[in-house]
Amino acid sequence: MIQRLLPFLTLIGLFVFLAVASPHFLTATNLSSVVRQTAVFNTMALGMTLVIISSGVDLSVGSILAMGGLMGTMAMSKGQPIAVGVLAGVLTGAAFGLLNGTLVTQLRISPFIVTLGTMGIVRGLALVVSNGLPVHEIPKAFSYLGEGTVVGVPFVLILLVACAAAVHFVLEHTRLGRYTFAIGSNNDAAVYAGIPVKFHTTMIYAICGLLTGLAGMIEASRLMTGQPTAGQGYELQAIAAVVIGGGSLRGGEGSVTGTLIGGFIMGLLANGCDLLGINPYVQQVIIGAVIILAVSVDELRKRSSA
Amino acid sequence: MLLEMKGVEKRFGGVVALRGGALEVRPGEVHLVMGENGAGKSTMMKIIAGMYQRDGGDMRWRGESVHFANPVEAARVGIAMVHQESLLAPHLSVAENIFLGREIQGRFGMIDRAAMMEKARRLIGEHKFPLQAEWRVDRLSPAGKQLVEICRAIQNGTSLLIFDEPTSSLSEAETHEVFKIVRTLRDRGTGVIYITHRMEELRSIGDRVTVLRDGETVHSEAMATLTTASMIRYMVGREVAALYHREPVPPGAEMLRVHNFCAPPSVRDVSLSVRAGEIVGLAGLIGAGRTELCRAIFGLDPAAHGGLWIEEKPARIRSPRDAVNAGLALIPEDRQKTGLARELPISWNVTMAGLDAISPFGVLRRQREGAITAAEIERLRIRCDTGAQKAGRLSGGNQQKVVISKWISRGARVFLFDEPTRGIDIGAKVEVFEVMDKLARNGAAILMVSSELPELLQVADRILVMRQGRIAGELPGRTTQEEIMRLATLESPETQLQ
Repeated sequence: MIQRLLPFLTLIGLFVFLAVASPHFLTATNLSSVVRQTAVFNTMALGMTLVIISSGVDLSVGSILAMGGLMGTMAMSKGQPIAVGVLAGVLTGAAFGLLNGTLVTQLRISPFIVTLGTMGIVRGLALVVSNGLPVHEIPKAFSYLGEGTVVGVPFVLILLVACAAAVHFVLEHTRLGRYTFAIGSNNDAAVYAGIPVKFHTTMIYAICGLLTGLAGMIEASRLMTGQPTAGQGYELQAIAAVVIGGGSLRGGEGSVTGTLIGGFIMGLLANGCDLLGINPYVQQVIIGAVIILAVSVDELRKRSSA
Repeated sequence: MLLEMKGVEKRFGGVVALRGGALEVRPGEVHLVMGENGAGKSTMMKIIAGMYQRDGGDMRWRGESVHFANPVEAARVGIAMVHQESLLAPHLSVAENIFLGREIQGRFGMIDRAAMMEKARRLIGEHKFPLQAEWRVDRLSPAGKQLVEICRAIQNGTSLLIFDEPTSSLSEAETHEVFKIVRTLRDRGTGVIYITHRMEELRSIGDRVTVLRDGETVHSEAMATLTTASMIRYMVGREVAALYHREPVPPGAEMLRVHNFCAPPSVRDVSLSVRAGEIVGLAGLIGAGRTELCRAIFGLDPAAHGGLWIEEKPARIRSPRDAVNAGLALIPEDRQKTGLARELPISWNVTMAGLDAISPFGVLRRQREGAITAAEIERLRIRCDTGAQKAGRLSGGNQQKVVISKWISRGARVFLFDEPTRGIDIGAKVEVFEVMDKLARNGAAILMVSSELPELLQVADRILVMRQGRIAGELPGRTTQEEIMRLATLESPETQLQ
């Protein structure tokens, strides 16, 4: 149990360290900017948590994020109300997630390969649909999604907490969540137990796509554009958040709280490097090292308790 | 004396796996090492073979104190081990595996494939193993893999050979072949250490016995003077009825009927029927189609076809889900791979097949789950601390009980047990039999595949013998091993034509 707390203590330690090291860290502006910056890939990471627990992976989320944002903003630029635009973005994400899940279960190809393929396909489609050009004609009010506040609290934080609570509930208290663990822990045993493995696997990818679509809308709102090139490399951020938070790529392990902690550790690292004036090239080195460190500590824990 | 061990200790973190390991092996003897799972047999063997290093005590090889830092050092003095679980490279060929790490080199240090193939073929041919040197290892059955391991171990001049349960996945004929190899080696003066759980094997192969219990050597004696009862007493530390005996109950309604059932190419035209209260044994050699028949009935073979009735109603079973919904249960032979989610809690495994009933609108009722788990732990006497413990941490017997409880909590009525006692202690075997008996008494129908003929004779009301995918005949429960083997091995007209 003490080792389970390790990511959390790391996060607290990092927070305290930055509060001491930089006078700019503990300001409302800076903290809400950290929240806003991390909200996008934290939302994606929630869906990725489900996928990784089921012993899958989704490399296409960066592309799906761009496609979702693009579809949503295009709808708005064609005169649709904001709510319809957001819905369009979210559903676009869900549709591509459904495609991923269908390909994984029907073709019986590894999720890595399938989503490597759809990563390219969806990115290419986004560029084709938009002609490679960003969408700018968006109603001003749309910026509220990414930049607005409710009594001083960033709206995206409320949204993130709500999504996290929902995914946590699904994972810990529903049949779908339980089957996610069962499929990830031992796919064959799940099949032998009569679990509809294909259906549930497909659902897991669809949920991941849906949350990614929402992340795409947040990103579009923050940039106030629909960018066909948005979200490149985000898939790795999302995977890193899950893995730092204790998720295992072998499946069967992971949690929503862990993922959020992992996501915020990544966010604080990036923010801290900025505040302390660390060269952005070096930042990449630091974040990469943290990923390896976090996972090796987790492996050690598992081995010593086995 | 070839090998002497005294007071050997081994700890893993805080867990003591071995604390008083003593063993003496002479050249030219077959030395049986007995003990329940967790008694420390495998740890002791791995210390001898250099895979583990002892933390205390003394080990002498030909009179000199030795310490092997790795298996290569042990191999250098002539110690080889045939492992229980396959340690082969699955994507390589049989020949490549036999020579893995000691490839035959030709000119310029290149691997001489032709020479390796040739040598592997000779080795396989010498012992008439049903293998081909060029086959890929991942296509082999567990038995085939075991034979490759044996080839690997015996290829060079070995003076001490360790067999860790070599026959647990082998058929009768293959077992005899292994015995022949063991005897040949012994007669050449090789020392053989042999670990087995199969009681009936002991007397036909062993010269001396050493019994381990709870990490300590508790007894050592010549095979000829040791009775089976006292051997079991030494192993378990208490009296256990060596022979389980089941009182049959009068059979009730027909629960499972299979008619002209085919699952090409392994199962051909099988018809059978099991009634409530019955335990029907399914005997046969490895490859006779018993496991394949169970899998096909359970909807795991898309090519299967034929008539199937569950509780006298025709059933269409296309997937395990259909099977589960029809009231079928499969306790698979490969518990680790297909039976248990090792990393998940016991309780999640218990309810895995029956989650629908405790999750209205998809929302889990965790109190219900806790109650069901507690009831199953109690009913099957699963030895664990709590239901939240990882299932993989349990002993083999308790893992098997968890797999069975999954089906009981689901309310299954027709049970297909495929090698239910594989890798399980003697004490736990009897408990599994008791569970099966109780199920049958409560009106379930049980089809039980087993390669352990004495177990079938103890448990089954009647025994069907399969041969080459067909039912070769039916025998009463009180038949003999010879009678079963006669049906299982009879040459059929087809093989004579080939």
